[in-house]
Amino acid sequence: MSGHHDVSYLAPKETWWKTVYSWMFTIDHKKIGLMYLTSVIAAFFLGGIFALLVRLELWAPTQTETVGETSRVIGQLFHGDPAKGITGNNIYNRMFTLHGVVMVFLFIIPSIPASLGNFFLPIMLGAKDVAFPRLNLFSWFLYVTGGIVAVAGLLLGGAETGWTFYTPYSTTTSWGSVTAMVSAAFILGFSSILTGINFVVTVHKLRVPGMGWFDMPLFVWAMYATAIIQVLATPVIGITLLLLVFERIFKIGIFDPGLGGDPVLFQHFFWFYSHPAVYIMILPGMGVVSELIAVHCRKRIFGYRAIAFSSIAIAAISFLVWGHHLFTSETAAANIVFSALTFLVAVPTAIKVFNWVATMYKASIAINTPMLYAMAFLFNFTIGGLTGPPLATLATDMHLHDTYFVVAHFHYVMMGGTVFAFIGALHHWWPKMFGKMYNEKWAMLATALVVIGFNVTFFTQFFLGTQGMPRRYATYVPEFTTLHRISTFGSWLIAAGFLIHLPVFIHSLVAGPRAARNPWGGLTFEWETDSPPIEHNFPHEPVITHGPYDFDTVVPPNCDPKEWPLPDQELVKRVHGAH
Amino acid sequence: MAIASTTMTLASLAPSGLVRAPVPSVLAAEEAGWWDKLWWGGKTGISTYGDPTDHVFFYIFWVSAFFFVLLMGLMVYFAVKYRRRPGVPAEPSPAHNTALELAWSVIPLLLMAVMFLWGAKVFVDMRVPPAHAETINVTASQWAWSWVYDNGGSSLQQESIADVNSPVFGLPVGRPVKFVMSSTDVIHSFYIAGFRTKMDVFPNRYTILWGQARNGTATHRWNAQDKRLDEIDPKQPKLYLTCTEYCGDQHSQMWARIALLDDVDYRAWKESLLDTSGVPLLELGKKLHTSKGCISCHSLDGTAKTGPTWKGSWGTDRPNWASPVNDGSDGFKDKFGPNYIRESILEPAHYVREGYPNQMQSYQGKLTPRELLALITFMQSLSDNPEDRAAAEAASAKAQAESEAAKAAGGAAPAGDAPSPEPAPAGGSGGGH
Amino acid sequence: MTTANPRAAAIDMDLPPHARHVPQSHWRNHHDEAEAAKLGMWLFLATEVLLFAGFFCAYAGLRLLHEGNWIAASHYYLDWRIGAFNTCVLLLSSFTVVLAIRGAQTNRQGMILLNLFITEICAATFLVLKLWLEYWPKWQKGELVGAFFSYGNPQGTHDHLFLSVYWIATATHGFHVLVGMFVIAWAMWKAWKGHYGPKHYTSLENVGLYWHLVDVIWIFLFPLLYLA
Repeated sequence: MSGHHDVSYLAPKETWWKTVYSWMFTIDHKKIGLMYLTSVIAAFFLGGIFALLVRLELWAPTQTETVGETSRVIGQLFHGDPAKGITGNNIYNRMFTLHGVVMVFLFIIPSIPASLGNFFLPIMLGAKDVAFPRLNLFSWFLYVTGGIVAVAGLLLGGAETGWTFYTPYSTTTSWGSVTAMVSAAFILGFSSILTGINFVVTVHKLRVPGMGWFDMPLFVWAMYATAIIQVLATPVIGITLLLLVFERIFKIGIFDPGLGGDPVLFQHFFWFYSHPAVYIMILPGMGVVSELIAVHCRKRIFGYRAIAFSSIAIAAISFLVWGHHLFTSETAAANIVFSALTFLVAVPTAIKVFNWVATMYKASIAINTPMLYAMAFLFNFTIGGLTGPPLATLATDMHLHDTYFVVAHFHYVMMGGTVFAFIGALHHWWPKMFGKMYNEKWAMLATALVVIGFNVTFFTQFFLGTQGMPRRYATYVPEFTTLHRISTFGSWLIAAGFLIHLPVFIHSLVAGPRAARNPWGGLTFEWETDSPPIEHNFPHEPVITHGPYDFDTVVPPNCDPKEWPLPDQELVKRVHGAH
Repeated sequence: MAIASTTMTLASLAPSGLVRAPVPSVLAAEEAGWWDKLWWGGKTGISTYGDPTDHVFFYIFWVSAFFFVLLMGLMVYFAVKYRRRPGVPAEPSPAHNTALELAWSVIPLLLMAVMFLWGAKVFVDMRVPPAHAETINVTASQWAWSWVYDNGGSSLQQESIADVNSPVFGLPVGRPVKFVMSSTDVIHSFYIAGFRTKMDVFPNRYTILWGQARNGTATHRWNAQDKRLDEIDPKQPKLYLTCTEYCGDQHSQMWARIALLDDVDYRAWKESLLDTSGVPLLELGKKLHTSKGCISCHSLDGTAKTGPTWKGSWGTDRPNWASPVNDGSDGFKDKFGPNYIRESILEPAHYVREGYPNQMQSYQGKLTPRELLALITFMQSLSDNPEDRAAAEAASAKAQAESEAAKAAGGAAPAGDAPSPEPAPAGGSGGGH
Repeated sequence: MTTANPRAAAIDMDLPPHARHVPQSHWRNHHDEAEAAKLGMWLFLATEVLLFAGFFCAYAGLRLLHEGNWIAASHYYLDWRIGAFNTCVLLLSSFTVVLAIRGAQTNRQGMILLNLFITEICAATFLVLKLWLEYWPKWQKGELVGAFFSYGNPQGTHDHLFLSVYWIATATHGFHVLVGMFVIAWAMWKAWKGHYGPKHYTSLENVGLYWHLVDVIWIFLFPLLYLA
């Protein structure tokens, strides 16, 4: 290999313009992953601001003076008449819609796969890149385009239909620009599909010789299962959104009751994608948690095959349960079928949680930010998962559907699950990606604020839901005031936590200490590369000599054996027996 | 059934119109404990399937709580006990255990099978209305609920909920009711949290929801003297109807109060809905705008909906509106005034304002003459011309005074008052045509 | 994109392009690269099937709602003979694509070019017939989608729904045919430059796979729309 391939992928080129060009038109999966990372983090903060505004409105039961005043200002500015400002309701409706659209399509769906998946999937397989590097760049361009269209849509007023765009409201409302927001989601969907295709083929065709399917890290299994869903489910939202745009522009009438169409047809179309989509959101998080727990507990994952197969099982069953979003719209017979199927998907999920806790038995557990987030994931995702059955159960869902109980449930799994896994993963792989270490103490403070704030915000919402508080409400009766106020206060704690996480990362890049190649003692291929990795990842093709979690028998690469002692090998042989 | 009818017979012996001893309700029985307050806002055991639903919920809750405490307890215990000690490796242990893995796959599956089966059973009860349920027709529109009872009456009582003037709907205790629901525009959803049930409401088909409040859960009593439903105990949790499918701007303002009434009170109240003679004209007109569903197509604030707004319409010229149905011969309907309004309500297809669809249903036979007059007076009160508005108030007050005088004199209220004069050509009020 | 591929250094430049194809640097060998490309294309085709599945579901849902009207509308507005002819045209084009691939396998460059050319002509024929014999007359008569339907002599109350599904399904399919024409043209250009031969014809195969899918989708659309 010629010399210039041994430099870090982050090293700048000879001229400023060449450096920029090398990023804009790169086919290096690491650079692409990093660009996705900055974008999804930016999207997260944008979506977070919308959320803070939503919770701010809900501090008081009825329209706050601030919102009323904003409305008057807008009216005066745009129409010369304070009475013509859009109502506080309208602003609120846009805030919760845009929070959903930005968080779902711009943040959480690409989050782990497009950033960390792109970065580490090839490296973990011992490959130099993904299967189709140019397609990867195209995926990134599509994401950027979708993002631009989304921002344009925001400037045109966004939308206030809810991120679910239910017809006939979404096909008839004239507020904002539904077409722009929906088009953005359509474009982003194709970015997701192409990434999915890339990952599936990479796992099939670019594994290092000697690495069988059961020698792969569980993060790879998770990425693979996610990619399968991305490939098969996302086209359905594509056609759904296309039909929605046709309905708005060409009035085709298939969802319009006035023209003989059926609005519930839209709901079926929409949820056929959007339910598997939530597994696109959580499976990568679960893959991350397997890595975090294995490495920071220095323990082989308990039930490796169960976790691997459960990822595939979740991907498969996820396509069968979309009807549980329509329990209040559909016939009793359909509901019974979907309720039963929904319980099926809970079993592989539960198995994973049991396996992760079992992994901690007789382990050697380091308490650091990645491990704290892994445990926070276990705590919060379990709550989220356990609040699924009340919604899958028909009798109770009749009460809880479209109340704050649902809002709390999905925030526990998406934020308490995916987001916490994502932040934990960021801390875990930060030294590898950038060659710099972050300040552990400040990171742990931020972690505490985020996790505690999250629970304060969302645990109260379970009770708001069972008490009957509907979702997407800007105003409410005084009975709900206390719980709403506690929830809003929690949102400020979360904000404070993230406002510490961000400078901790920035400081690490600017002035952090140099990181070692393997600070955590991991055994997967990324810990054999440099921190940060060289352009082609490995100077020579890696050779597979051990499994990804053989902590009992293998000294971690690039590590001092004295700092990473192995247990007595005779005992190991006895315990693992025929393995 | 025998008990119910005996109760009704006994109750019917009590003279109505007198203040009666408050009927104890489950809501008022004792102050709800903190547990019920936390989960349900204090509202438990109201509907017949409410308690079974809550039992299913708590089964799920306690099973979940058990596993949660177990798992988190183990996690924290392991994190402390097996904390990393420098120089000490993790003790080797098996990385899988078939018996354990099978157990923790099968046991949760069985526990969840119970959740599914039990929940499905209670759900089927919730979906199948009893044959003798009383039907109430519910129409949802942006952004109000309209209920029409089986005698054709609609509730006119309103109260302020979350700063919104919202209707109060009565329901009987101890008897099932069946809601037959449809929407006039987008998808809404009908949710009474206290009953533990909801159902989506669609524009292209009917959906059905049924419920029965248990005996002893009455929240209101019928005050025949003031013709009003009074709360039995203002400190008890309130029952609301809310919309639970996002439907646009005022989705969070589609509140309604549910008043549970003992059957005798309920029947008396329902009877009284048919007699709107006691309500002053202007107030009646305003309430009818909501309760008869006019609100779904006609706004009061100038917004054009499916139909034209009522605001500022009074006194405007008809010739300015082109219409294919215009035959130009009806001179006395040349302006938006009483005769034009009357025709629009009873024969809407005869003259359709340009730019609006010919979609309005006829209210022939659905409004008393006085109700018609009330609507006309109300529309007059929305005129851009302050003289017209004053005239509307005056007409309403005059009619009210006459009706009270007639009642005081022992006679019945006048059957129907005379309408206001047509608007004058120059836009002022009074004068002939 | 600027990295030099060391394997390129060892290539004999006298061979035709198809015999000196160098796999991208992250592939261990040519076989892996070719297999991966095909797997990728099959996955992409799966996504296309799911995309069109939406049209089929809309068709099914709406037909169930308005059965009699639907079938009558199909006979009333569509001429099955045009559809049948177009079907034959597409089937022929799929056959010629296969022949083009065969040409690559047997190193007959002329066969590749000729058959790709015929495929292109078939695609163009399909589109021209559709536009000229179906779309244009319908546009003129007002037999359009949903709320734009203005044909003066409808045969039922929900004709516009059938036509909505007809227009958007066939238009989206037509768009895929048009994209296919560009893609086949690109393959023709590569064939002209000698890039396809017995050792390397992956992208030609993938073009063929895409074209077969476009054909298969039409095979389903035709009976559902024209022979209801």
